[in-house]
Amino acid sequence: MPRDRQKPSRDSVTTIGEDGSRNFLHPADVKGRFTLWRRISAFFLIAFYVSLPWIHINGYPAVFLDLAARRFHLFGLTLAAEDLWILFFFVTGLGFFLFFVTALFGRLWCGWACPQTVFLEHVFRRVERWIDGPARKQKDLEKKEWCAEKVIKRVTKHAIFVIFAAVIAHIFLSYFISVDVLFSWFSEGPATHPRAFAFMLFMTAVLYFNFSWFREQLCLIICPYGRLQSVLIDDDTVVIGYDEVRGEPRGRKKKVRQAAASAPAEQVFESGDCIDCFRCVEVCPTGIDIRQGLQMECIGCSNCVDACDDVMVKTGRPKGLVRYDSLNGLAGKGKKFIRPRLFLYFALMSFGIAAFAVSVTKIKPGNLGVARMTGTPYFLTEDTIRNQFNLRLINKRNQPVVYTVQAISDEKTLTTAGFEGGITLEPMEEVVRPFVLTLPREDYEGPFSLVLEIHGEPGDFSVGREVKFLGPDVRLLDENYEPTFGQ
Amino acid sequence: MSDNPKKNDEPQQEGVRLLDHAYDGIQEYDQRLPNWWLVTLYGSIVFAAVYWFFYYQSDVATDDVENLEARLQVIEAINLEATLAMLDNENLWKMSNNALYIEAGQETYESICQTCHGPNLEGGIGFSLIDNEWVHGSQPVEIYKTIDAGVQGSGMQAWGPTLGPKKVAEVVAFVLSHHSPENMKDAQSAP
Repeated sequence: MPRDRQKPSRDSVTTIGEDGSRNFLHPADVKGRFTLWRRISAFFLIAFYVSLPWIHINGYPAVFLDLAARRFHLFGLTLAAEDLWILFFFVTGLGFFLFFVTALFGRLWCGWACPQTVFLEHVFRRVERWIDGPARKQKDLEKKEWCAEKVIKRVTKHAIFVIFAAVIAHIFLSYFISVDVLFSWFSEGPATHPRAFAFMLFMTAVLYFNFSWFREQLCLIICPYGRLQSVLIDDDTVVIGYDEVRGEPRGRKKKVRQAAASAPAEQVFESGDCIDCFRCVEVCPTGIDIRQGLQMECIGCSNCVDACDDVMVKTGRPKGLVRYDSLNGLAGKGKKFIRPRLFLYFALMSFGIAAFAVSVTKIKPGNLGVARMTGTPYFLTEDTIRNQFNLRLINKRNQPVVYTVQAISDEKTLTTAGFEGGITLEPMEEVVRPFVLTLPREDYEGPFSLVLEIHGEPGDFSVGREVKFLGPDVRLLDENYEPTFGQ
Repeated sequence: MSDNPKKNDEPQQEGVRLLDHAYDGIQEYDQRLPNWWLVTLYGSIVFAAVYWFFYYQSDVATDDVENLEARLQVIEAINLEATLAMLDNENLWKMSNNALYIEAGQETYESICQTCHGPNLEGGIGFSLIDNEWVHGSQPVEIYKTIDAGVQGSGMQAWGPTLGPKKVAEVVAFVLSHHSPENMKDAQSAP
């Protein structure tokens, strides 16, 4: 079979030419069990991505990052901007979960779940194959002089790419402004919301560029996760690999196995199972030769596994020359799953998730802010001392909450004004109201601390803030007091 | 990762050059960066020059502080314009007969003023607003000023910055709706 691309080498990246130019790949299509399962999982992942903004939980979209109102709705949980610290634990827990999975199964995420792979392999490349045909025809078309056919195919393909990029960008935008708002902005036109429109255009352009041209460069050169692989995996991690023991020496020796069946045992392995057909290289989306061992470029997509299995079946050999296995397993050594690093990653992951779970329960669905009213810190009347506050009440919940306010203090004669009979706050509402504390003069014996507390129903929660009741120097309240100045 | 036994047997790719230096036996390839990567480098150099020219050398672009100041000026102008209509006793009396103003004013009153001036304007911590005694002036514009700027030394804070001119005017309208120009004439302006 003639091959018009250079043989992959471990010394350089296949997709970058000697002069720094881009070597555009046309990976061949592949069929098989892993490809089928990847296609099914990609379908559900895309459906998941598309449907999240449409599904409403507790009155808000399942994921709605409302930046404008600084409220973050995540699967029924509503977080205010001030609560986002808990996401630290969630994200680190998730990060260590990825570490854990990586230590076990290598780049499972990249090949099966990463949006880059999902959209590229299952949307954009399929469109490309549908219009330009299989890999060989794609290459021929690329070399061809510009003609009517090429123009039509190119225009059609890129038009569809732009449309898909725009759709993905719009769904992304709806995560931040919600689908309802997105549609109302549609009807009002781009001129009314130029910034959102510009953002959408920018996202569309980036996605189109990424999926039509940039492609595997993102995985190879930009993605930090790919670069972390070498410290996350070891010789017992399950990766995609080539069974050198069984495959070498490679070559096109037909029916070697059948002929060797009656031969002495040493001759059975005289020629390896690899027939050097290069099918695994042709289907590789990053342009490597998996037979050269585990490489930085491998995104664990399993295309080569299916491709090789297909060839093995056709040539009457057992499957699994290229397979999911650990480096030790491929070398014929024993398999081992339990390793110290797994415990470390698992412990860190559990810590993050546990801390997140605990802190979620600590989040108050409302908040109280206390500030003294502008002006003097206290006011004196003939027989009372008065302290005035502005209370800022925030309802962070998705439902109306009734708040009652009280001052908790040892002073029995302290009276309050404001918030009589409680106050109902609408979902996400925030109000500022005065609250006045009054104390008879004769009971004042100097500044004292007290707690202003709000109690919310439903939810039965309280938030308290300590404040100081201030007044004049006690001696000044005594009418018979005569100040002496200096000595 | 395991070393690949095949690696040394394969001919080294043409044009891939090894650098002379070696540290701990490790040598480095001298490969060209991808062209698209170089484009980002040269692109940012060009961007820096353009940015420097527009923001620091020319008057074409305005920076964030200037933008902010310009927008604050616009907001202030709107507020000033709104205030203009309220600096007129007659206007404020007219507002006190407008149901929309009274309703809006009542809402603000009940959420804020009521704490001190009582649910029926009868007073409490603060002065009564229903009787005919006006310590800080009985004319509508004076009442507006009292709410807007507060009264130093008393418990009345300046509500203008919090509420804005429109809401202050609404509250004035609500308070005035309990009075008439006629009885206000007889009002005492001293305690």
